[in-house]
Amino acid sequence: MITGAWVCLLAPLAGFLAILLAGTRITRRQAGIVSTASVFVGFAGALVAFLDAWSRDPDDRTELTTAWTWLKAGEFEVGLQLLVDPLSLVMMLIVTGVGGLIVLYSNGYMAGEDEERRYFAYMAFFVFSMLMLVMGGNLLLLLVGWGLVGLASYLLIGYYHDRTSAVAAAKKAFVINALGDAIMALGFFLLVAKLGSLDFGVVFDAAESGELSDTVVTLAALALLGGAVAKSAQIPFHTWLPDAMEGPTPVSALIHAATMVTAGVYLICRTHPVFEAAPDVQHLAAIIGMVTLLVAGVVALVQWDIKRVIAYSTMSQIGYMFVGAGVGAYGFAMFHLFTHAFFKALLFLAAGMVIHHLHGEQDIRKMGGLKSSMPFTHVTFLVGTLALIGIPPLSGFWSKDAIVSSAGAMGGVLGWTLYVGCLVGALLTGLYAMRLYFYVFRGEPAAGAAPAAAEHGHHGEGPQSMKIPVAVLAVGSAIAGLLQIPGVWEPFDTWIDPVAEPLVHPSVAEDYLTSLFAVTLGTIGIYLAWRAFTAGRELVRAGGVRTALEHKLWFDELYDAVFSRPAQAIAVGLRDRFEGPVVQGGLDEVAEGTLRGAAATSAAQTGLLRTYALAITISVAVLALVFLVVR
Amino acid sequence: MSGPGIPWYLAISAMLFSIGVAGVLLRRSPLIVLLSLEIMLNASNLAFVGFSRLFGEMDGQVFALAVMAVAAAEVCVGLGLIVAMARRNLALDVDSFTELRG
Repeated sequence: MITGAWVCLLAPLAGFLAILLAGTRITRRQAGIVSTASVFVGFAGALVAFLDAWSRDPDDRTELTTAWTWLKAGEFEVGLQLLVDPLSLVMMLIVTGVGGLIVLYSNGYMAGEDEERRYFAYMAFFVFSMLMLVMGGNLLLLLVGWGLVGLASYLLIGYYHDRTSAVAAAKKAFVINALGDAIMALGFFLLVAKLGSLDFGVVFDAAESGELSDTVVTLAALALLGGAVAKSAQIPFHTWLPDAMEGPTPVSALIHAATMVTAGVYLICRTHPVFEAAPDVQHLAAIIGMVTLLVAGVVALVQWDIKRVIAYSTMSQIGYMFVGAGVGAYGFAMFHLFTHAFFKALLFLAAGMVIHHLHGEQDIRKMGGLKSSMPFTHVTFLVGTLALIGIPPLSGFWSKDAIVSSAGAMGGVLGWTLYVGCLVGALLTGLYAMRLYFYVFRGEPAAGAAPAAAEHGHHGEGPQSMKIPVAVLAVGSAIAGLLQIPGVWEPFDTWIDPVAEPLVHPSVAEDYLTSLFAVTLGTIGIYLAWRAFTAGRELVRAGGVRTALEHKLWFDELYDAVFSRPAQAIAVGLRDRFEGPVVQGGLDEVAEGTLRGAAATSAAQTGLLRTYALAITISVAVLALVFLVVR
Repeated sequence: MSGPGIPWYLAISAMLFSIGVAGVLLRRSPLIVLLSLEIMLNASNLAFVGFSRLFGEMDGQVFALAVMAVAAAEVCVGLGLIVAMARRNLALDVDSFTELRG
C-alpha cells in the first residue's frame, strides 16, 4: 500500500523534473507524453494502493509512514510522513485519474502553443503538489502541499504571460491564496505553541479529549476554515476564481474545478475532530457554503463568458460540499467532491472543445447552434449539464441530494435554513446551466460561429487525445453516482466512515423526498430557462438587479476600496513623506558632505614646492617646541 | 684639547641650518634650492662631529660620513633633474611646477 502511495507521489515529480532538465532536448510533443505518462503512472500507484486497502479489514486501512525526520527544533519534530487512508486514497484517485485525463486532453488542446514544455512541466508539478497536500501525514506537510498548489495555480493562470489580464488574474489568485495560507499558518503556530506538535493524531486527540481550551480550538478551527475558504473560493475570498479562467481551459478543468479548489472540503473532512470540537465554526462553514452557492448561482445567471459561467457553478457546487462538511456529512461531501470532479472537468473540457473549435471565442452570445456541427461535444456537454443539475440517474443527482437531505436531517433553524437554501440553489443550477447550454448549442448559429466552424470542418471537433478523455469523463459523470444509492448500497460512505464518522444520518425516506423536491426544482429551472430562451428573453431583466449581478455584487469594487486603495495610498504616502526626504535625502546628505570635505582638503594641495617645504619646516619646529616644553 | 668650545660649533651649525632653510623657502631657482639643501646637510654634519667630540665617541663621525654619501647621491639626482629641465627649455623656477595642485 505504501509503495503504491510513494510511486503515486513521486511519479509526477519525476515527470516534472525530467521535462525541466531536458529543456529543449525533447520536443513539445515528447514533453506532453512524459507529463501524461507520469500522471498515469501515479494513477497506477494510487490504484495499487487502493486495491490493497480494499482487500483489508475496514479498520486496518490507515497507514502512516515516516521517511525521515524533516525538521527538528528542540522538542518540535516533523517527519516527512505520508498518510494513506480511505480519505486520501479517494483524493489520490481523483487527482491522478481525472488529472491524467486532463493532461492527456492538453496534448491536443495545447498543440501548437509556443511554450508547451513549460505548460506540461507545470501540470506535472501541480499534480505532485496536490498529492503532497492530500497525502501529507501531518499538518505541516499539508501546508506545504497547500502552498505548492497555490504556486502551481499561479504559474498556470499566468501561463499566457503576454496577456495583462492573465498576469493580473494570476497575481490576484496568488495573493488571496497566500492570505488563506497565512491564516492557516497562524492557526498552526497556535497549535505548536499549545501542543508542541502538528501530527494529526496528537492534534485530534487533544481536540477530542478537551485538552485544549475552547478558545484555542475555536481559533484553530477558524484558521483552518480561513485557509479552506480561500483555497475553495468561498465568500468572502471567492473573487479570484472567476478571474482565474484566464488560464488555459484544461487548467481550469484540473485546478479550478476538479482538484485544487476542492482542497478546502478535503481539509474540513480531514481535520473534522477540530471542527467538531468547535461546532460554531463548523456551522459557520455550512453557512458560508450556503451563501456562496446562492450568490454564485445568481451571478452565473448573467455572465456571458462560457468559462466564467462554469467557474461560478464550481463555486456554487463547492458551496454544497461546504454545507455537507459543515453539517457533518463528510462522506456525502467527499462523494459530491468525487462526482463533481467528473462532471465539472467534463464541462470544462467540452467547453474547451467549443472554444478550440471557434478559435478562442468565449462569449456565448457569439455561439449558438453548435448542436449540428459538434454532435459529440453536444452530447457530452449535455450529460455534464444534466449531471450538474442533478437529473437522475446521473451522478450529481445522488451526491447533491444526499447533502441536501443531510442538512434537513440536522434539523433546527440552521438545518432547515440550509435545506431551503440548497433547494433554491438547485433551482438556480437548473436555470444557469441550461441557459448556458441553450446559448451554446441551440438556436441559430451566431454570425461569428458559422464561418469558423465551416472553415475548420476538416478536423472535426478535435483530435482523439481530446475526445477520449471527454468520453471517459462523460461515462464517469453518468455512472459515478451509482456508487451510492440510498437504501440499496452505500459503498462510498462505508469507505469514508472509518476516517470521518458522519454526524447526521438522513433516513432513506428523507433522502428520496428531498430528491423529489430537488429534481422538481431543477426541472422547473430547466423549463424556465427553455421558456426564456425560446422567447429570446434574458433570465434576469430587472435593471437594478441585473446591474448588481453584472458587477458580481460589487465584491471586487468593495475590496478595491477597502484594501487595495488604502494600501496604495499608504505606500505612496510613505514614499513621498518618508522614503524621499529621509532615506533618499539622508544618503544624499552623506554623499554631499564627503564631496565638500574632499574639496576643502584638495584646496590645501597647492602644488607649490615651497609651500610643502614650509609646512614641513613649521611642523618640525612645532614638534621641537612641544618636546622642549613637555620636558 | 684646545680651541673654541662645543657651543660655538653648535651655534655655527644652527646658523648654517637656518640659512639653508631660508634658502630653500625663499629662493626660486632650483640650483640655489639644491645648494641650500647641501648647506643644511653640512650644518647637521657639523653638529654630528661636534657632539662626537664632546662625548668622545666615533658614532657621530661615522654618521657624518654616511650623510656625505647621501648628499652626494642627492646632488646627482637633483642636478640630473635640473639638467633635464634645462634641456627642455623649461623655466628654471620652482614656482612654475604646480602640477600636483589638488
